[in-house]
Amino acid sequence: MTVPLSTTDSMPTVGTIRASGPSFRDGRGLDRVLVWLTLGFLVAFSALPLVYNVVMSFQSVDLFTIASFDRPFVGLDNYKAVLSQRATGTIVRNTAVFVGLSVALQLTIGFGLALYFQQRFPGSTWLRGLFLAGWIMPGLVVGGVWSWILAGDFGVMNWALQATGITSDKIFWLSDPSIALYSVIIANVWVGVPFNMILLSVGLAAIPDDVYEAAEMDGAGRIWRFLTITLPLMRAQLGAVISLGIIFTLQQFDLFAALTQGGPSNGSNVMQYWSWELSFQHYRIGQGAAVSVLMILVVICVAAIYVRSTRHEHAA
Amino acid sequence: MRTIRVLLAGTAAIIASPAFAQEPVELDLWTIDDPGEYHYVMAEEYMAENPHVTINLRTVQFPDMVNDLARAISTGSAPDITYIDNPEIALFASRGLLLDLTPHIEASDIVNADDIFPGPLASVTYEGGIYGIPRGANTIALYYNADMFTDAGLDPDAPPRTWDELYEAATVLTNPARNIYGLAFSAVGSEEGTFQFLPWVQMAGGDYDNLTTDGAERALALWKTFIDERLASPDTLIRGQWDSTGTFNSGNAAMSISGPWEIPRMSAEADFDWRVALLPVPHEGAERASALGEGDNVILANSDQPEAAFAFLEFLYDNMDRVWNEFGYLPASAVDVTDPIFPEAYAVFEESMQYARNRGPSPDWPQISQAIQTAIQSALTGQASPAEALADAQETISDVVN
Repeated sequence: MTVPLSTTDSMPTVGTIRASGPSFRDGRGLDRVLVWLTLGFLVAFSALPLVYNVVMSFQSVDLFTIASFDRPFVGLDNYKAVLSQRATGTIVRNTAVFVGLSVALQLTIGFGLALYFQQRFPGSTWLRGLFLAGWIMPGLVVGGVWSWILAGDFGVMNWALQATGITSDKIFWLSDPSIALYSVIIANVWVGVPFNMILLSVGLAAIPDDVYEAAEMDGAGRIWRFLTITLPLMRAQLGAVISLGIIFTLQQFDLFAALTQGGPSNGSNVMQYWSWELSFQHYRIGQGAAVSVLMILVVICVAAIYVRSTRHEHAA
Repeated sequence: MRTIRVLLAGTAAIIASPAFAQEPVELDLWTIDDPGEYHYVMAEEYMAENPHVTINLRTVQFPDMVNDLARAISTGSAPDITYIDNPEIALFASRGLLLDLTPHIEASDIVNADDIFPGPLASVTYEGGIYGIPRGANTIALYYNADMFTDAGLDPDAPPRTWDELYEAATVLTNPARNIYGLAFSAVGSEEGTFQFLPWVQMAGGDYDNLTTDGAERALALWKTFIDERLASPDTLIRGQWDSTGTFNSGNAAMSISGPWEIPRMSAEADFDWRVALLPVPHEGAERASALGEGDNVILANSDQPEAAFAFLEFLYDNMDRVWNEFGYLPASAVDVTDPIFPEAYAVFEESMQYARNRGPSPDWPQISQAIQTAIQSALTGQASPAEALADAQETISDVVN
């Protein structure tokens, strides 16, 4: 009868592995390389530009000093200049409305569609895939299409509204300062819905059917099941979709460039477009940097809330 | 100094003459043209005549030119020669980045500054120096649909000459049932808006640094009336000149304010009798003014081939009589254009050119222009009265100028 391997027998083996030190193929060596690679990438392509941007926001930068580091520091002058402009109030309010409405509508419609396609009727997955077409299209193309739809004199939208008798007068979607922002929101919601829908569909698919079946047997109605099962179990996905939605919406630039250029009279201008205008149209690069730093602060807050909410989720 | 000039003149003459075989010269040229257009055609002809010269062309998109050029200058990779839009000359000249061509021009047998029209000459002049040679010019005038004039009972041979007549004609010609606006123009929030509006201010006695005049207020109020009474489309606020004139070409506007660059497309697309008239003035006998567009050929201050570069500029200037027929701009200097295409339109634009005035000059033109755009847009959208809007713009501009 063979004696089973005792613990003492196996000890030397373990010892040799430990003694051989960090190997490149496995263990800490590879870990370190991977960490440093990632960190190096982040530092080079994210942190440095970010820091450079923050530094520029405290300097007087114009076109001709863009390549040199030796620029006069002006303290908070850029921030003061940006915040004291008459247009600032309008632009900040526009940005809040744009982000708030876009995200709310994208989420509601996206969630609605995700639930709809969850019904698994014939062709549902196929149709759901088709929805992504809108999201794949480049922003400028989407903007071009919507600018035809929303054109004041010869747009399809006005034609449809007038033909069906909903309005009698033309609506100047893009040139009426009280409407222009909402026109961009309409286009942006159209762009963002598919992405929301797909992310939320993934979340919905992960909820086991038997939970619903059990609830149904206990007599819970549709609405009750949605409120007590779907919503709580979708918490992490909803948090992610909302946070990403806010960040994507704050990055939305192409639609403004294609539809209204922030006009008329800043009626549809938002901070991201304004930052570009300041830097590359008015050549006040320091001020453009200041606006983007202010936006970064907002994004950091959003990201922090997102991280906190998902950490809570993992802990629970 | 004299000897230097003589030397320069000598060098220029030698380089310009193809009879001598010389050391090869390479010139870098930035342009907004695409192959087949002005700079490409001219450079090819020049290289054929001067085999020792190689011109390396690079196309830069018009909106990117200032940014790209500034970046290239600060990194030491700027070209020898480039195209610059009129109002940007002061921006670069004020920083000593452009070569002062005055001594070269004085020594030149080909370029004579006195032959350049006052508007274009002013656009390349900054604090006494001449920093570029206009490659051509353009200006704006009133296009009108003579058929619609006849249909509406107006005399197609008597287009509106004053602002009041323009307003009346626009009122008569506007026909919402047939989707026709009386007038198309551009009040867009970009340089084009300033380009269209400034002549109205200038012919009423103001200028970019003197906006709070009664005339300017009247001009802006009239623009607002055009929009408010739907004599022009509200989309005027977001449409550039090309798109606005597109509605004229398709028969959806009876008149349009724009420049000669429209003619090739208009002659192909507009299936009606289109004609051109000078911009209407505030009242009978008032001073005339018009916008000045197009750009200039300039030499960068740190070019290592200034003589060779100037010789090429002389060649371009020497071909000024071809720009209308071949490239669609107006000559910027007094030259005889034999057999111009679209002769009636040419006659109007050529006359209009005499009244064309420069925008600026100011090294801070982008800020000034922005203030004017803001005034136009805030008045036309009703956020401020014309007087308030102009006063605000004046305040900003006074800060910038002083």
